[in-house]
Amino acid sequence: MVVTREEVKHIGWLAKLEMSDAELQRYTTQIEEIINYLNKLDTIPLEQVKPIAIKKKFSELRKDSPENFEDAVLGTGYRKDGFVKGPRMV
Amino acid sequence: MATTTKIGLEIHCQLTGAKSKLFCRCSSDYRGKAPNANICPICAGLPGTLPLLNQKTVEFAAMITLALGCKFPDEIAFYRKNYFYPDLPKNFQLTQYNAYGITSIGVDGRLEYGNGKDARIRRVQLEEDPGRLVYASGSMDTSLYVLIDYNRAGVPLVEIVTEPDFADTKDVRMFLDKITSIIEHLGVCDTKLEGSVRCDANVSVDGGNKVEIKNISSFADVEKALRYEITRQRTMTSREIQVRSETRHWDDARKVTKESRTKEEEQDYRYFPEPDIPLVMLGSEFVSFIKQSMPELPDTRKERFMSKYGLSAHIAQVLIGNKELADFFESTLMIYLSPKEIANWIVTDLMSFIDERQKKEEEEEEHSLFAGLKVGPEHIADLARLVDQDMINRATAKQILGQIIRTGEMPSALAKRMHASRIDDVSVLAQTVQSVFQMEQAAVQDARRNANVANFLLGKVMKITKGKADPKVALEMIQKKLKED
Amino acid sequence: MPIYTLEAGQVVQGIKSKEFSAEEYISQLFERIEKVEPKVNAFVTLNKEEGLDRARRLDKKIRDGEQSGPLAGVALSIKDNICTKGMKTTCSSKMLESYIPAYDATVIKRLMAAGAIIIGKANLDEFAMGSTTEFSRHGPTRNPWDISRVSGGSSGGSAASVAALECAASLGSDTGGSVRCPASFCSVVGLKPTYGLVSRFGLVSYANSLEQIGPVGRTVSDVVSILNVIAGFDENDHTTTNSSKPTYSLQERKGLRVGLIKEFTEGADPGVSKMIYKAAETLEKQGCKCEEVSLPSVQYALASYYTIATAEASSNLARYDNIRYGFDMNPEGYEWNSYFARARSNFGDEAKRRIIVGSYVLSSGYYGKYYLKAHQVRSLLKREMETLFKKYDVLIGPTMPILPFKIGERIDDPLKMYLVDIDTVVANLTGMPAISVPAGFADGLPVGLQIMADQFAEQTMLDVAYLFEQAAKVQRSPEL
Ligand SMILES: [Mg+2]
Ligand SMILES: [Zn+2]
Repeated sequence: MVVTREEVKHIGWLAKLEMSDAELQRYTTQIEEIINYLNKLDTIPLEQVKPIAIKKKFSELRKDSPENFEDAVLGTGYRKDGFVKGPRMV
Repeated sequence: MATTTKIGLEIHCQLTGAKSKLFCRCSSDYRGKAPNANICPICAGLPGTLPLLNQKTVEFAAMITLALGCKFPDEIAFYRKNYFYPDLPKNFQLTQYNAYGITSIGVDGRLEYGNGKDARIRRVQLEEDPGRLVYASGSMDTSLYVLIDYNRAGVPLVEIVTEPDFADTKDVRMFLDKITSIIEHLGVCDTKLEGSVRCDANVSVDGGNKVEIKNISSFADVEKALRYEITRQRTMTSREIQVRSETRHWDDARKVTKESRTKEEEQDYRYFPEPDIPLVMLGSEFVSFIKQSMPELPDTRKERFMSKYGLSAHIAQVLIGNKELADFFESTLMIYLSPKEIANWIVTDLMSFIDERQKKEEEEEEHSLFAGLKVGPEHIADLARLVDQDMINRATAKQILGQIIRTGEMPSALAKRMHASRIDDVSVLAQTVQSVFQMEQAAVQDARRNANVANFLLGKVMKITKGKADPKVALEMIQKKLKED
Repeated sequence: MPIYTLEAGQVVQGIKSKEFSAEEYISQLFERIEKVEPKVNAFVTLNKEEGLDRARRLDKKIRDGEQSGPLAGVALSIKDNICTKGMKTTCSSKMLESYIPAYDATVIKRLMAAGAIIIGKANLDEFAMGSTTEFSRHGPTRNPWDISRVSGGSSGGSAASVAALECAASLGSDTGGSVRCPASFCSVVGLKPTYGLVSRFGLVSYANSLEQIGPVGRTVSDVVSILNVIAGFDENDHTTTNSSKPTYSLQERKGLRVGLIKEFTEGADPGVSKMIYKAAETLEKQGCKCEEVSLPSVQYALASYYTIATAEASSNLARYDNIRYGFDMNPEGYEWNSYFARARSNFGDEAKRRIIVGSYVLSSGYYGKYYLKAHQVRSLLKREMETLFKKYDVLIGPTMPILPFKIGERIDDPLKMYLVDIDTVVANLTGMPAISVPAGFADGLPVGLQIMADQFAEQTMLDVAYLFEQAAKVQRSPEL
């Protein structure tokens, strides 16, 4: 087995995705099939090949001038005194 | 048994010298603003937004890189550090990373921080600050929800990572002082602002496991946290309990390190290069641009103070140890050029008042050195001039400084008022001198052979008159009388 | 002929010459939408009131003799992953079911300034992850040529709305073929620009290093007029190219050299291959020189694509934790880890799958095995393509290796679904431009011809597309 149920469960924890046992089972099977396909990449020797990348010069970066964003950024929802409410941290 | 301690540091400095945030146009000055009033779609992580790298922050980080003797790579890149936390609008932090080639702005440096000691700098990197969490009931444990303010999210930070090169807390303190002085001199970070400098530390004792301490929110607390942690580890070792490799949090209120609730060992940041920020090419042109635009560093300033003003290494060191102090010194010279005299007044006398005040407020955050003292360069310049021109003696000058520091009055004005109450009536003074000559006959004999002893006699006159005699007039009278008899 | 059938160019002309008003045109379109939308399901949100209001204001402008812009009155649908200020942008996801952006995407600003009228937001696979538009919270978009079949995806709503005459043209986004695939399946024209030609500011990211916003229209000419408005440097997107703004035109050119990628035709359904060979013949008759060529690294393209796309997606989708925006779920009392996990379980099936695959390939110890390798494959492919472009002006092949299939046919087999992207991902991996133009029909279903060119060689690509379009005269919109 390439991908185990435990691995998918751990990834689910990292990615904060709640999965039922049935989902976990189904995803494990499907993801194993996908990862097996991606393993193709491991069969080609590519040590010398440099990845392509977009490059910019220092002079092309954004100039440091502040600007206020006038419109409301955060919509309504669970809010208090201008703060955004989040779940408890314990 | 001899014990060895190894300490390494991760220092976060906000680039308060930049006007806008790291990746958006919002102001980097978030302090004192209403919650979530200093945000835009980019720093709030709204869908569809892209990071726009602030040119100034690259310049500032490059200056720090140079000041810490680090090497530049040809190109820098940003990475996503993926983890979930309610203060992170995107649930990843944009930072730099060096696993597959060097892409952080600085690497492999070395900084001498005093007494001939130095520390290796592993890397210097640019990254974004997260938002701020406030607990509804004041405590994390009892709050049913958390309040989030994203005003700080995206404020530019430079993280400086050292090798574990410190053997004790004193070294750490000296190193942090040096870092503070450097970033202040570079004008990149106002270290007096609350939360502008923070520190994580790792400690191991006697080759044991390494413990990370997170959440030390000011440099002032670093020594405390380290002392606590070193003692904790030594106690465990002496009881033959193995120290666990773990991450502990510094509890600001109780001044202890405590076990962290999250299982950090399960964390896996899944770093990968940020696709929305192109590689930024630095190259030799950039490096020479940075070298040209670098403000004077503390070490260079010290050299200059010694060679140009003839100060001793010690005095120069004390001055450059704090940029405010060094700036105060140079501002005073602009008014009245008497470097040694002025340096002495600042380093010995003024500093003792500052120390005294700082001791009183102990736990207070580090704010301006001169806070609460009504003294400016013009006062010290005036004082030095009075002494130089023999208008007052040192004892009086000290007395004057002690008063004007509270009132803000100019020293010359105070001296004039004091003068008015002086005993300069020659007949009254002559009587006092006469009586001293009678009481101290042996000294009078000595004074005739050794001119310096005259000062002893003057001291007696001053004592009897409770300092009200004009020392200049009195000394003249003593010298005249020594010749007469 | 009713005015809702007009191409974008004809609409601009008609309105400017006062043959009909913008208001008449837009009203007619909404009548058409009301009639066919129950069959097609191309729209997620309609913008009727504001659309009509803009039309009236445009009419007044024209009456007053004011400037009205190169797209004056042209009705557009916009893929619902492109931010429109004040108008819901859902990405066909529960996670954004009530999300209203605080800003307009750069392309939206440019289109509005050019006088275009946005009539609604088009359906897509959730967060653009899919090739059929079946993974949408709003249900699948159906193929106007056969409503039992998929429209293609992920810009299915864009292509179907254009083919069904619900609007003149549309904007989609193309990460691995998401504009070209539905264009091919719906027999319309869809273009993916060179990476960096069009600003992505305001495009909700799926896989940042691969995707571009691209136009969909019934003719090459319509696609060109939209591209001319949206292309060019944007200070809000560091990955746009800082060069002078390009203007494309329709040109008659002879003697172009065309390479037919044999791996593409070999891997396709016989019905599809036949149409592509026929297309090559058509081009030869128009004076092009066609030759078969090989692109050996294409065998690694899909593995590379799905590694990069899922990796980037897993991180892009992390921000949907339901705290700042989302659906109604009170965080109070929840422990934060469980709140996040509970809220995020509302992602659809395919999104969850891609988040897991992407997190897997990036997780500790696997970066070098998958992500880095995948990027090296991109270099390899780009090098092979560049070598080919020294000899050929364009490369052609089928857009899709298969014909539009039945709704539900592949939905339970993710890998089988991924394999249909084999011919389109090459352009995304190499950053090169590609266009799908209708090539004809096999078994009564549309086949698209894909034309690729070197980076920023859009003009050459468009020359071939236009030449083919003029010669092939393929039907664009079905009876509905
Ligand atoms: Mg950090
Ligand atoms: Zn901002």
